[in-house]
Amino acid sequence: MAGICCGVVGEAAETSSPIEPTSRPSARRSLDLLPLKYIAADVSVPPLENSRKRQRLDRRASPARECDNAVHSSKSKVVEVVPNYSSKSPTLDSTSPTVVEEYPRYGVTSVCGRRRDMEDAVSVRPSFCQETLSHDKKLGFHFFAVFDGHGCSHVATMCKERLHEIVKEEVHQAKENLEWESTMKKCFARMDEEVLRWSQNNETPSCRCELQTPHCDAVGSTAVVAVVTPEKIIVANCGDSRAVLCRNNVAVPLSDDHKPDRPDELLRIQVAGGRVIYWDGPRVLGVLAMSRAIGDNYLKPYVISEPEVTVTERSEEDECLILGSDGLWDTVQNDIACKVVRMCLNAQKPPSPPSSPRREMAVDCSDKACSNASILLTKLALVRQSSDNVSVVVVDLRRT
Amino acid sequence: MSPNNPSTIVSDAVARHHTHVVSPHQCCSAVVQEIAAPVSTVWSVVRRFDNPQAYKHFVKSCHVILGDGDVGTLREVRVISGLPAAVSTERLDVLDDERHVIGFSMVGGDHRLSNYRSVTILHPRSATDTVVVESYVVDVPAGNTTEDTRVFVDTILRCNLQSLAKFAENLTNKLHQR
Repeated sequence: MAGICCGVVGEAAETSSPIEPTSRPSARRSLDLLPLKYIAADVSVPPLENSRKRQRLDRRASPARECDNAVHSSKSKVVEVVPNYSSKSPTLDSTSPTVVEEYPRYGVTSVCGRRRDMEDAVSVRPSFCQETLSHDKKLGFHFFAVFDGHGCSHVATMCKERLHEIVKEEVHQAKENLEWESTMKKCFARMDEEVLRWSQNNETPSCRCELQTPHCDAVGSTAVVAVVTPEKIIVANCGDSRAVLCRNNVAVPLSDDHKPDRPDELLRIQVAGGRVIYWDGPRVLGVLAMSRAIGDNYLKPYVISEPEVTVTERSEEDECLILGSDGLWDTVQNDIACKVVRMCLNAQKPPSPPSSPRREMAVDCSDKACSNASILLTKLALVRQSSDNVSVVVVDLRRT
Repeated sequence: MSPNNPSTIVSDAVARHHTHVVSPHQCCSAVVQEIAAPVSTVWSVVRRFDNPQAYKHFVKSCHVILGDGDVGTLREVRVISGLPAAVSTERLDVLDDERHVIGFSMVGGDHRLSNYRSVTILHPRSATDTVVVESYVVDVPAGNTTEDTRVFVDTILRCNLQSLAKFAENLTNKLHQR
C-alpha cells in the first residue's frame, strides 16, 4: 500500500501541484455481504468434457485433496451456467460439467470526510436480478449505485434500500421485451413517488437525524446506478454523481453531470419557467446546485428525477467501472481515477508463472485490488481538499 | 390585498412594520400566504423565535445564544446541506403578541444575505383563516442583480410559509380531533 501511495503521489505531481501528506485515515465501510471465494470460470472457453476437465485440473499440479475440496465447494453452491459466447449451439446435456457463475469483484468506500454529516449512501447488490432465457440458462445482473443526499440523509437511505428492488420488479415485468432506457426511467419515477408518498404519510418523526420531522420537500439525493450484465453496462444517472468506464487505458464517461448551467439543462429549466441564478455557483432559483435529483419536491418542475440512461456493450478491453459522488469527482479527474485503479489492479497480479494460473488467488487479489483502489481514490480526494462526503465503488470488469 | 375591503384594512401601527428603509444596492419584497387555521394557532408557531425548525424547512437546528425569547434575543440557525449558506446569527427585533407581529434581522453568519431584515405579520381573515405577510429588505450581493436576490429570497420564504401553512393546518386538525 505504501508503494501504491508513493506511486500515486508521483503520478499526480506530474499533472497537479504537490500534495501535502495527510495522516487522516480513510475508513472502509463494513459490508454485510462479504465477497465469496469461488472458482472463476473462463467464459470464453467452450464446455469441456469430463475427461478433459480432469486433465486441466491435473495440469494445475495441485494435490488431489485440494482438487476434491474445489469440487465439493462447487457442488455445494447454487450453480448456474455462464453463457458460452463462442458456441452457437450450447450443449443441453444434463451430465455436462457445470460452470461456476462469474461473481463481480468490487471495492466500496464511503466516508464523511470534512462535512459535518454523512449523507451519502452506497448500494451494492450482486446477482440482484436474474433474467431467465430458458429453463436452464440464467444470467446474473449486478447492481451498483451511489446516492449523494442533501438536506438530510433519508432520501439517499430510502434509495439505497429500495431502488434495486424496484429495478428488479421492472426487469421481471418487462421479460423478453426489456428496454433499458424506459425501464430505468420508470424505476426512477417510482422511487421519486415513494419518497414523496413517504413524506406525506409520515406525521410522526421517523428520521434519526437532528431534524424533528421529515422535511422531504427540501431533502433530496443524486442517484447514479450501474447494472452490469454479462453483455452490457447500463448506467442511469440523475444529479451530479458520476460513472466512468476504463476501457483500453481511456476514461469513458458513462454519465453526464446534471449541473444547472449545462446548456440543455439551463434551457429545460427556463422553458419550465424557472431560473438559474449564480449564488455560490449556478443554482436552480439560487438554491440547489444540481438540476436533477430524487426528491426536492419544492423545486419541481425545475428539478426533475428523470435519469439519463446509457447502455454500453461490454468489451474485452474493459478494465473497470468507477462510480463516485461529487466529493470524488470535484477533485479527481476521470483519467486520473482510471490510472489509479488500473495501477491497483495491475499491482495485484499473482506472482505464479503464467503457464499455471491460479484462478482462486487471482480472484482474491482482484477483490483486494478493488478495495485498495476505492480506498486510494478516497484518500486522493481528501488530500486534494475535497470538502464533501466521498463515496466510491470500483468494479473489476476484466474477463478472467 | 384590497384596501377597500374592511376585513383587510391594516391599522397604521401594524402597517408601519412593513415600511422598510431601502438603501441603494438593496432590494425589498414580500411574500403572502393564506392558511386555513385560526390566527392564534398560526401565531403560536410563528412567535417561537427559539424553534424556527418547526416549520422552516431549511433550518437544521437552532440554538439561542443570548436572551430568553424577548426582543434582543440572539439565535444561531444552522442550515441544512445543499444550500448556499451554513449558519446564520439572527436577532429578534420585534415581538408584538397583541398585533401578531414578529421581526428579526441577520447580524452574522456564513451566507450572502447582508443587512437582511424581515417582518412577519398575521392578519385574521376569519375565525378559521389567517393571512401571513412576510416582507424583507436585504443588500444585493456583489455579482448579482436585484432580481436574482429577490427570486432567491422569495423562493426560501415561499417555501417556509407553505410549510407553515401545512404545519398549522395539521395542528388545527389534531386539536379538533381531541
